[in-house]
Amino acid sequence: MGKNRKKVQIIVLLFAFVIGGYAIFQTFTNDTPGTIKEGQAVPDFRLANLQGEPISLQDYNGSPLVINFWGTFCEPCIREMPSFERQYEEWKDKGVEVVAINLSEDTLTVSNYVKKLGVTYTILRDVDRKTEKKYGLRSYPTTFFVNPNGTLSSVFVGEMKESQIHEHIEKIVGG
Amino acid sequence: MLLPVNSKCECGHQNAVGTVLCEACGKPLEEQLMKSNEPLEMRYDGVARRSQKANPDFLDKIWNFFSSVKIAIYLIIITFLGAMLGTIFPQASTFISATFNPKVYYSEQYGLAGEIYYFLGLHNTYSSWWFITLLVMIGTSLVICSIDRVLPLYRALNKQQIRKHHAFLKRQKATYSGQVTDEPVQWTKQYGEALKKKGYKVHIDESGTALLAEKNRFSRWGPYINHIGLILFLLAVLARSIPDWNVDTYVSITDGDTVPIVGTNYYVKSDGFSMELYDNDELPIELKDSGRVKTFKTDVVLYECAANCGDDFLQPELKEVKEHTILVNDPLRYKELKLHQFDFNLTPRINAVSPMIINKETGESYGPFHLTMVDPELYYEVGPYSMELIDKYMDFSINSEGEPITLSSSPNAPAFIFNIKGPNLAEDGEMFMYFPLEKDKVRFSQDTINRELANKLEIKVDGMENVDFSAATTYLNVRIDKAVKFLWIGAFFSMLGLIMGTYWQHRRIWLRIDDNQLTLGAHTNKNWFGLRADAAYALKRCGIELDPKSLDNGGHKG
Repeated sequence: MGKNRKKVQIIVLLFAFVIGGYAIFQTFTNDTPGTIKEGQAVPDFRLANLQGEPISLQDYNGSPLVINFWGTFCEPCIREMPSFERQYEEWKDKGVEVVAINLSEDTLTVSNYVKKLGVTYTILRDVDRKTEKKYGLRSYPTTFFVNPNGTLSSVFVGEMKESQIHEHIEKIVGG
Repeated sequence: MLLPVNSKCECGHQNAVGTVLCEACGKPLEEQLMKSNEPLEMRYDGVARRSQKANPDFLDKIWNFFSSVKIAIYLIIITFLGAMLGTIFPQASTFISATFNPKVYYSEQYGLAGEIYYFLGLHNTYSSWWFITLLVMIGTSLVICSIDRVLPLYRALNKQQIRKHHAFLKRQKATYSGQVTDEPVQWTKQYGEALKKKGYKVHIDESGTALLAEKNRFSRWGPYINHIGLILFLLAVLARSIPDWNVDTYVSITDGDTVPIVGTNYYVKSDGFSMELYDNDELPIELKDSGRVKTFKTDVVLYECAANCGDDFLQPELKEVKEHTILVNDPLRYKELKLHQFDFNLTPRINAVSPMIINKETGESYGPFHLTMVDPELYYEVGPYSMELIDKYMDFSINSEGEPITLSSSPNAPAFIFNIKGPNLAEDGEMFMYFPLEKDKVRFSQDTINRELANKLEIKVDGMENVDFSAATTYLNVRIDKAVKFLWIGAFFSMLGLIMGTYWQHRRIWLRIDDNQLTLGAHTNKNWFGLRADAAYALKRCGIELDPKSLDNGGHKG
């Protein structure tokens, strides 16, 4: 009985430790479901650009990436776009990519606005708000700064000033 | 508790450390206990708990902590108190709005108390680390307490010695001593026969003068089966935190739309929401004209994505899997998915119009042409006119700088800008702004915007049959709970164990005859009345008539 008893003890306590540990660990990571934490990989996507070609997250593997969600109905989104354009011009030689995902609006609306704003970075088109939901968006605009290895560096909710965009990009280029 | 060092009994049996009553003959092992005359404590038949040990190591110490029923009760009380804290203010998880901000909500709604509540993290009591830790500790305690007690008890009950020590018999709560006039072997046999009629299993030792009769031993396993059920239940609750095991979200579907259920592979289409009110003649007088709702229902079609699912570049291939009319309390069920009716909105949404072009100078009209609100065609040929769609706004407005903007992506106030070429128009075409909704035409003064062109042309919808609109939007609650079947299994075992332990009692009667001197002891975990009646009944069949109550040896009248 002596030997067996030790075995049972170790197995039961190990089970309690592993299952219990997992459950307790979950409470620290899962407090707001749907949102992405810094250091986690950002959700994958494969969406059409304005030319109708598929662009996916993997295409930016190894590059510091800025993902900005915008809609033509969102005035602060439109206001910050010229700042993103200038920052893109400033950083693109260092490999920084900017992707602006439109909030599931239709073709005419998006292309007219992009023409009017004259932005040169990549515009992608979300479908049925799926990507937006995967990214756990709560309000617009929201911008994700992604490290070259595909993990999240930081999130900014609301309109960004050019200096703020600059600071956030510096971090993903450095890291 | 002081453990007796020498655990060898006078009958020759070597007992484990911590044994109270000899595992073989039942003699009390502690000297103090032997001297006393009180009825014996028969819990776990006096055997040592599995973990009781002379020199516990670190692992034993952890084990012993969880093995303590006292600790288990403290844990349960602390958990109860903690759970009560979570009921003071609403939990954050009960708010479904995407813009809900607990930090603001609690302080605004409940003042300082709310602020403290939020600061302490009590807005998420049931998923907080300390609450889950308590549940995990209770679960561990359940397992360890059970293992520590059920195995020794099983061994003790599985090989019971029939001939017990006099001290053991006399100090049961039901006991009898007296003279037997018949031949002892014959008497014992007769007593056994009488108890067999009462459903006892009777064992008589080789000498023929010691007897053990036992009934309903299985009821002793009730509490342990109940614990297995509770452990399953707890594991199922914890399993809900596994990704995809528990989905609780909402979808809004405007009539006729097909929307993805994010986080699953399903799409759902609404064929229309409808609400029915009671007729006045169905209502009592007091409720007449009060607009009582009879039914809320949504006709839906559920699709499963068959190909191109994770890819939003290609169109997903959908396969219809189920059609259902969702009513309150009658959700759509498909595998583990459930869609419940949750809310509705009766604001109509315009989807498309089929207007005519009217040449105001000649009075001729052409068309109609089909104009959708989302992704409309860019070129139209209508009669002698050719039109190019230049720009559109879903929710037209003018901003502070006087520029046209759209306020949302919903067609609340759609506006279209066409470049129209045709008879009596400029060669390069002329700009015409068109508001399909009559109210917007007036609000934004379409005719003023279009200036002279307004006198030459008109785009007009002729009758409601040329307007395609959705009457309502339904809101469905999406539930997936893969843990729920394990909850049921756990609840089943828990109930089974409770019933086993509640409605049956483990009854045992021992007796020995030494030189015509009969000593009888009986034990049960409850319903002593029934046990004494059984023992007295069999005694009567063997010629000893007595009041069952006289068997009582220690205040157990029940």
